Amino acid sequence: MPALLGLALFNYYPIVQSAIYSVFDLDSTTDWLRARFVGLANYRTVIGSGQFYGTIGFTVGFTVAVVLLDLSLGMLLALASFHVTKPLRGVLRAVIIVPWAIPQVIQAAMWRWMLNSDVGPIGDLAVRLGLAAEPPLFLVDQVLAIGSVFLAYTWKGASITAFFLMGGLALIPREVIESAKVDGARPLRRFASITVPMLMPTIYVALLYRSQDALRVFDVIYGLTGGGPGTTTDTLSSFAYRSYFRFAQFGRGSTYAVVTFILVAIVGVFYIRRVRKNFNFRV
Amino acid sequence: MTIKHTHRQRLHRAGSWLILLAIALWCLAPLAWLGITSIKPQGTEYRIPVEYWPQRPTLENYRTVTGERFGVQRSILNSFVVSSVALLGTLLLATLAAYAIARLRFRFRWATLYALQMAGMIPPIVVIAPTFVLLRWLGLIRTYWAMIIPNMFYAVPLASFLIASYFANVPYELEDAAKIDGAGTLRTIFRVVLPVAAPGIFSAGVLAFLGSWGEFMLANTVSVGSRNVQTVPVAILGLSQAFELQWSWVAAGTILTLVPIVVGVLLFQRVVVTGLSAGATE
Repeated sequence: MPALLGLALFNYYPIVQSAIYSVFDLDSTTDWLRARFVGLANYRTVIGSGQFYGTIGFTVGFTVAVVLLDLSLGMLLALASFHVTKPLRGVLRAVIIVPWAIPQVIQAAMWRWMLNSDVGPIGDLAVRLGLAAEPPLFLVDQVLAIGSVFLAYTWKGASITAFFLMGGLALIPREVIESAKVDGARPLRRFASITVPMLMPTIYVALLYRSQDALRVFDVIYGLTGGGPGTTTDTLSSFAYRSYFRFAQFGRGSTYAVVTFILVAIVGVFYIRRVRKNFNFRV
Repeated sequence: MTIKHTHRQRLHRAGSWLILLAIALWCLAPLAWLGITSIKPQGTEYRIPVEYWPQRPTLENYRTVTGERFGVQRSILNSFVVSSVALLGTLLLATLAAYAIARLRFRFRWATLYALQMAGMIPPIVVIAPTFVLLRWLGLIRTYWAMIIPNMFYAVPLASFLIASYFANVPYELEDAAKIDGAGTLRTIFRVVLPVAAPGIFSAGVLAFLGSWGEFMLANTVSVGSRNVQTVPVAILGLSQAFELQWSWVAAGTILTLVPIVVGVLLFQRVVVTGLSAGATE
């Protein structure tokens, strides 16, 4: 009986929650419907424009690059935090979480300030170290602008990825690693054949979360380059935002937003499928 | 043998310091720059060539941002209230949802999982305007609730997913044993499953908390300039004069608002560690 009651609660609960979400969804799709009402032409223009493919291309490229960077740097940070001796470990974890604790909009502003080619320390240091003749125009040069966006995004992303992975690493029983050590497995081999497989569920969660976040990236782009130079670093979200608020093209903005959602959803469904197989959910 | 052992230990300790140093450099260098900027007299942060140490260090900026004009400390309180309440709501909802998905068998289970996760994939830009309308209709604009309720739900998809991934690692035998002992579903969750999944719930909690802490678009929209409910990011980006962000102020404000977070992480560090060892002994 209590179990049934519990089941009812859990069945009931997600439905209520979905209902609340559906309010948000519905509201957001009204925009989409309106755009459609204004004319399917919106979609045709958007899909027909070269800008659209450039933006999608950058968004996807950005996501792949940044997720890989996040994951590898995050893994290094997480492993390091377990390698470090006890009293330092707490300090190290606090240090690692710091980049995540600064609100993203402020970070974007901070990086713009640091990468400023007149008064920013990064350009100045590059000159002083003899790496450049004069402060590089980080946010004007195409390649450097893309690099700057990667840097700013990964600085924050690696810290949260590390945090995820630390949680997962903590769940791996010590004995498994110890016995592998006794068997003479080298660190790299232990990492590849024990740590990674056992960490897989966590890695999937991290991947899912980071790629969704990256596909929808907005704050960093908007605050750092504003999509520039030109539209080189425009992502779907930042372009949607500009369509909404700068050009007041609500239809086009919505179109971009919808495309973003579809893109994110495809990736999401793919991950969730994998995860379902990977987790030992009770079937 | 013992000599060799202590030698190795010393090497390990030195290595630890080295790692800490390298990571600190990566994570804290931008903050160091903020710190330096925050003690520059206002206006001198634009000097060329770049000053790596101000000629006349001052705490004036801190006085300005905490003074009557800006009162950044109020925004810390606001953020704290919003993030904490939202966090509690998220964890309750997400834990129950995660348990349902990881353990219970019911129709539409996978549909629920997808519906839950899809909700987390909607681009925030799309959501802001309708949410604003909804909150205005509910009369919640310029209140904490206008930020608490949406933030609570924003964090549920990720949190439930994360927690479910931990639940998946809990051996069924533990649960079945509890059930045979006559514990109900809720009791089983709270007494058996939760302790084991504690680190996952903690990570989810940290994520949820910092998510609402850093959320800007919604907070900016629903606080409509009211300093009584402004959260940290909104308040800091308001540190401008004549529509120009004043960097020494922003730097001081950012450093101030970071202090509670860092203290919190250091404090909770202990909780995680005890949570972990408790989980291991179950």
